[in-house]
Amino acid sequence: MKIFYKKDGGIVQLIDKEKMKEWPIELPLIFIEYVRNNQLKSYDDPKIKKEIEKYLDEVLTDVAIPGLIEVLDGENFEEINKALVRIDELAKKTPDMVKPIKPFVEKLINKNIKEVNSLSNSIIASFNKAERKKELAEKRKVMQEKEKSFLAGNLSGEEYAKARKEYLVLKE
Amino acid sequence: MIIVAIKTESKKWDIKEAKKLFQEYLEKGIKEEKKETKLPENTVKIDDLNRKQTLGRIYKLTDSIIEMIYKNGRPSIKLPSRTSGNIIWDEENDLLLLGQQIMEKQFHSLGSVADITRLMKVLEKVNELLLKDMHATKREIFYSAVQLFGDQKNSDKCIEDVATMLYTTRNSTHIVASAKGSCIGRLRIRDRNDIIDLEGLGSGGWTITPMLDNVEILESDAEFILVLEKDAAMIRLSEARFWRKYPCIILTAKGAADIATRMFLRRISKELKLPVFTLVDSDPYGHYIHSVYLRGSKRLSYESPFLATPDIKLLGVLTRDLEKYKIPNDCRIPMNQTDIKRTKEMLSEDFVKKNKAWETDLKLALNLKMKAEIQALSTFGFEFLTDQYIPEKLSTGDWI
Repeated sequence: MKIFYKKDGGIVQLIDKEKMKEWPIELPLIFIEYVRNNQLKSYDDPKIKKEIEKYLDEVLTDVAIPGLIEVLDGENFEEINKALVRIDELAKKTPDMVKPIKPFVEKLINKNIKEVNSLSNSIIASFNKAERKKELAEKRKVMQEKEKSFLAGNLSGEEYAKARKEYLVLKE
Repeated sequence: MIIVAIKTESKKWDIKEAKKLFQEYLEKGIKEEKKETKLPENTVKIDDLNRKQTLGRIYKLTDSIIEMIYKNGRPSIKLPSRTSGNIIWDEENDLLLLGQQIMEKQFHSLGSVADITRLMKVLEKVNELLLKDMHATKREIFYSAVQLFGDQKNSDKCIEDVATMLYTTRNSTHIVASAKGSCIGRLRIRDRNDIIDLEGLGSGGWTITPMLDNVEILESDAEFILVLEKDAAMIRLSEARFWRKYPCIILTAKGAADIATRMFLRRISKELKLPVFTLVDSDPYGHYIHSVYLRGSKRLSYESPFLATPDIKLLGVLTRDLEKYKIPNDCRIPMNQTDIKRTKEMLSEDFVKKNKAWETDLKLALNLKMKAEIQALSTFGFEFLTDQYIPEKLSTGDWI
């Protein structure tokens, strides 16, 4: 077990990532999601929260993603399908978590299997949607700044209108 | 007149002695994590095997029988004797183990022909279970050949013989006992592909599965484990959500300790490196239950290294507690002849003689000729067990 020490002398123990390498491929992701959604908030100590977040990231990059890539890169379509179902769910909920496998999913779009195809498209759509959301959030921030500048008289009406137009196009 | 029961906010104890013990166990556990238990040379070594390995042992055994048939036409099976004379207490590891006395069962002897036929039937069933990757209960094995076994006692004995014959644990043969124990508290596990939160299963907790090969510990922030003899005590602690105030994992086998509960306790205490406390009735049977968790039973001594949890502390109810907590006389029960006999038997065990505090407490029980159940503590109120008795003991280090 991996031990994390709390300031008050207590501990949190999490299963060692080496053991997870023997798990079914979708399980490490489920584990990461479970700890993030259910357990993290119960640890009062911010230091331990940070350390556990870091450990979960390690599990993701060292165990979960390589496991999925191995399956997606293989020829066993039953396993690929199972993995894609799981990735699809995660891509809808937490796209950043599974983003590293995007190139491997993109490769699968060209495969001639209906289910694999539709799942891959759905995953890519989730990734794109998430990217657009992120871009929009960034633009919104810039727009707010520009609005402030415009009201303060530091930005011309023409420049403001141009920025506003770009923002609305992206929002559409 | 209206009587109102007012529930007051209970005090939170600083369980400093239990915390001290937790730090000791954690340090010791980290140091010993990679160290293997070395058993004395004059004892039988048993391995916990996976499905493939157990099948390998079955094939090796059947090959040797076939070889004997070809050689002289008189095959036999050799297995470690499980008689009390072959049970050794390993003082260093504090375990009851099987010595190296071997017995031989002849296929051609009238005295052992029935026994060996039953044994082969069980071996055949074990082989089938392993090949299909399934588990069966002892009762199912009995019903697989009722006429041959006659009584479940016979099939149960053969199941243990088969495990000994293959030099493995009973769990490795995929024959399991029915689920009996339950566990609750600060622990998250995986049972095949399901993540189970033992804090979120209502007041009943998680039923300890006998198929422990499917179970893995995922996460815990517990600092000790509390083993209860009785389900009634479990209900009390569960209703009080005891583990929220005092970070722990609570389990019970609802009476005598079954294999799955013992095995699970060993697993969680070893993997999580946590101290374990038992809370049993203050009577010889309660002390015996504690001893079985601690160093194994004589009947299953060949499996002790996989079932026993050495260094468990007996938290209560101690005989000296009857006076200390002034348990009223009408809540105490006079010992009968069987209790006295059992207490004397316990006192004659080497492992009790070596533990002076335990010996003193049993001698006090013999002097007082009194016993008491855990429930006797509720004479001071239903909350006394959870708000005073257990926390106070954990805080002062009042255990054996």
